[in-house]
Amino acid sequence: MPKCTVNGIEVEVKDGATVIEAFMKTNESIAHYCWHPGLSVAGVCRMCMVEIEGNPRLQIACNTPVQDGMVVYNNSEKVKEAVEWTLKFHLINHPLDCPICDQAGECGLQEYYMSHGSYDSEMAERKVKKHKVVDLGEKVVLDTERCILCSRCVRFTDEVTKTNELGIFNRGDRSEIGTFENRPLNNKYSLNTVDICPVGALTSKDFRFRQRVWFLKSFETICQGCSAGCNVQAYYNENGFYRVKPVPNEEVNGHWMCDEGRDVYKFANKEHRLVSGIKKEDSGLSHMAPGAAAVQLREDLSDTKKAALVLTGQYTTEEYLKFVDSFTKNYGNEVYHWINNPKTFDDFDGILLRGDKNPNTVGLLRVLEGKGIKSSWADLEEKLNSGQIEHLVVAGPENLAVFPDLEEKVTLFGQAQKLTVLTPVKSKFYESADYQIPMKSFMEKDGTFVNHKGIEQKLGRGPIVVSQALTLLDLSMILDGSDFISVNSASMGGSL
Amino acid sequence: MSIVKKENSLSKWYLPGILKGLGITFRNLIKNLTSRDEMLTLNYPEEKYEYGPRFKGNHVLTVKKDGSLRCTACMLCATNCPADCITIVAAEHDDPSVEKYPINYEIDILRCVFCGFCEEACPVDAIRMGPEWQVPGVNGASFINNISELAYRPSLGGGIKTVLDDEERIKGGI
Ligand code: SF4
Ligand code: SF4
Ligand code: SF4
Ligand code: SF4
Ligand code: FES
Repeated sequence: MPKCTVNGIEVEVKDGATVIEAFMKTNESIAHYCWHPGLSVAGVCRMCMVEIEGNPRLQIACNTPVQDGMVVYNNSEKVKEAVEWTLKFHLINHPLDCPICDQAGECGLQEYYMSHGSYDSEMAERKVKKHKVVDLGEKVVLDTERCILCSRCVRFTDEVTKTNELGIFNRGDRSEIGTFENRPLNNKYSLNTVDICPVGALTSKDFRFRQRVWFLKSFETICQGCSAGCNVQAYYNENGFYRVKPVPNEEVNGHWMCDEGRDVYKFANKEHRLVSGIKKEDSGLSHMAPGAAAVQLREDLSDTKKAALVLTGQYTTEEYLKFVDSFTKNYGNEVYHWINNPKTFDDFDGILLRGDKNPNTVGLLRVLEGKGIKSSWADLEEKLNSGQIEHLVVAGPENLAVFPDLEEKVTLFGQAQKLTVLTPVKSKFYESADYQIPMKSFMEKDGTFVNHKGIEQKLGRGPIVVSQALTLLDLSMILDGSDFISVNSASMGGSL
Repeated sequence: MSIVKKENSLSKWYLPGILKGLGITFRNLIKNLTSRDEMLTLNYPEEKYEYGPRFKGNHVLTVKKDGSLRCTACMLCATNCPADCITIVAAEHDDPSVEKYPINYEIDILRCVFCGFCEEACPVDAIRMGPEWQVPGVNGASFINNISELAYRPSLGGGIKTVLDDEERIKGGI
C-alpha cells in the first residue's frame, strides 16, 4: 500500500489508487467536475490540478496514480491560479442562468466560483448559443448551454446502465450532449444523471421549478420502493416532501438509485394520506380521531371468536415484532403474509431494482419465523371463502402503485364479516371496510428495514405529516388495553 | 423613559407651568392663523404629501414590452424578504427562451415592512417599489396582492415596462 503526503498530511491508500482518492481520504478539498467515485476516470475537466514535488508541471489528480513517497499539494499559488483559469474557460460560454436554473444553490460552478474564482470576466466575445430546454426523455431535461462537458452523464449510461443513450456531438465549443435519433433517455436509472451532473445542465422534470433547493431541509432514510433498500436523502419543507436522492453506500446501492424509488415520497404527502379514522356505521361513514377508531376496533375485536391478520412487507421490523406479538396474544395465531406480485417477486434487473416491491419482506419473514407462524395464503383464501373469518385486520401497503392486485385482494378480504384496513394512504377500494385507521408513512417513523440481502438499516425519521396517525406499535399498545398513544410517534419531531 | 426633573422654587407651583404651556399654544395658533404656508401639518386626505422619487411604497411587478411579466420566478426576492411575505409558484413557460415564469405571485402587504430588500435582490428589475402608499381595504383578504394587482392595477396604466427585453438581450448575446 503506497503512502503519500497530501498538503502535508501523510496518507496511505490502496494499490493503484489515484491522487484524488488520497485527497478524498484526507478530507482536503479538491476541485473536480468530471471525476466521480462510481464512474471511470475521464480527466477532461482539468479542475483537479495538483503540484507534485519533483515534477515541474501541474498534473490532474484524478488520473495520476499514487506512488510511494509522493508529496502532493494543491494549496500553492501556482495550483490556485491554474484552477481559476480552468474555471474561467468553463464559464466562457456559460449562460449564467442561475435565477432560473434549478441547480442554483447546489451547483459546482457557483461553489467553485466562490472558492476558486471571484474574478471579473475578461471575455469580450459573444457567447456561443446552444440548445435550451431539450427534452431528453420522460424524466430529464437538458440545457446544453449550461453543460461543461464533463461527460459524467455519458459515462453513466455507458458504464452503469449500459444503455448508451447519451453522447457528445459536434466539436470544439459547439460540442453538445445529446441523444441519438429515436433513442430517448428512458432507462430505469435516468435520473441519476441529474444527480451526478455537477451543473444545472440536466434537470429532473418531476422536481423542475417546484422549489428552490435552499428552501428545502433534508434527512437520510431508506427507500421504500423495493427490497434493495437504497440509502436516500429526502428533501422537504413545510409544504411536504419534494424529492429523494441517493446516498452512497457501497454495500447496498453504490452511488445510485432507480427512478421508481424517486417517486416514493409522493404518497407520503398530505394529499394522498388518510387523515382520520373511519368507521362504517348503518348511517354511513363516521370520521373520528385515529386513536378513537383504534379503541373502538379493540372493543369490536374483543367479542370476536375468529380474527385474522394480514401483513404486507411495508412496515418496520419493530412494528411487526410488537404487533404480531400482541395480535397473537389477544386473538390467536392467524397471521398471513400478503405477497403483492408473486410472479415477479424474485426478479432482479442486474443493477438495483428488485421484483419484491416491499422494503421489509425479509424482516417480516424473520419475525413470522421467530414466532413460529407458518401459514399459507391458500389457507386464508379457503377460510375467507367458507366464511370462517369473522374479523380480518389488514396492515395495508403505503405504496399502492406496486400493489396491482389491490382491488382483487380487497374484494377477497371483504368476504370476512368485518374488515379493518390499517393504511397510511387513502384508496377508493377501502371504502367498503368497516374500519380504516390511518398509519404513519415510512418517512415519519423510526424503525428498521431488512433488505433482500439481510442487511438491517435504520430509517431516519423526518417531519410528521399526519400527526395523529398511528404506527403498528401504537396500535398494539391500544390492542393490549392502553388508551394512550405513545409519545414516540405522535408528537415528537417537527411537523409539516 | 428618562424624566429630567429641574429642582427650582418655581417648579413647585402649578400655575406658572400651565401658563407657560398655554403661551406656546397661543403663540403657534396665531402664527398658523396668520401665515398658513408655514404650517407643518396637512389636511389629509384632501391634501397629500409628495414623497421623494425614491420613496419605497407599494410594489410594482414590471412587464416586458409585450406586456407579459418580467419576473422569472427565481425566488430571490422571497429568499431575501425578512418578513417572509412573498409567495411564488413557478411554472414552465411554453417559450423555451423564457423557460420559467410565475403563475402565482403574492405579497402579503400587511406583513411587508417596506424594506425594499425584494427590489434589491431581483436580478432582472422585475419588482420595484412605487410611489403609492395608501392601501385601504375592507377585509384581510384584500391585502394579499396578486399578479393582477401588482402588475396591472389601473393606476399603473397597463403596467410599468422594463428597459431591457428578452429579445434585445438575446440579440446582444447576453
Ligand atoms: S449551472 Fe450553475 S452557474 Fe450555471 S446557471 Fe445553473 S446554477 Fe448558475
Ligand atoms: S450534461 Fe452535466 S453531466 Fe453531462 S457532460 Fe454536461 S455537465 Fe457533465
Ligand atoms: S419590501 Fe421587504 S418586507 Fe416587503 S416584500 Fe419586499 S423584502 Fe419583503
Ligand atoms: S427576484 Fe425578481 S425575478 Fe426573481 S422572483 Fe422576485 S421579482 Fe421575480
Ligand atoms: S476531475 Fe480531474 S480532470 Fe476532471
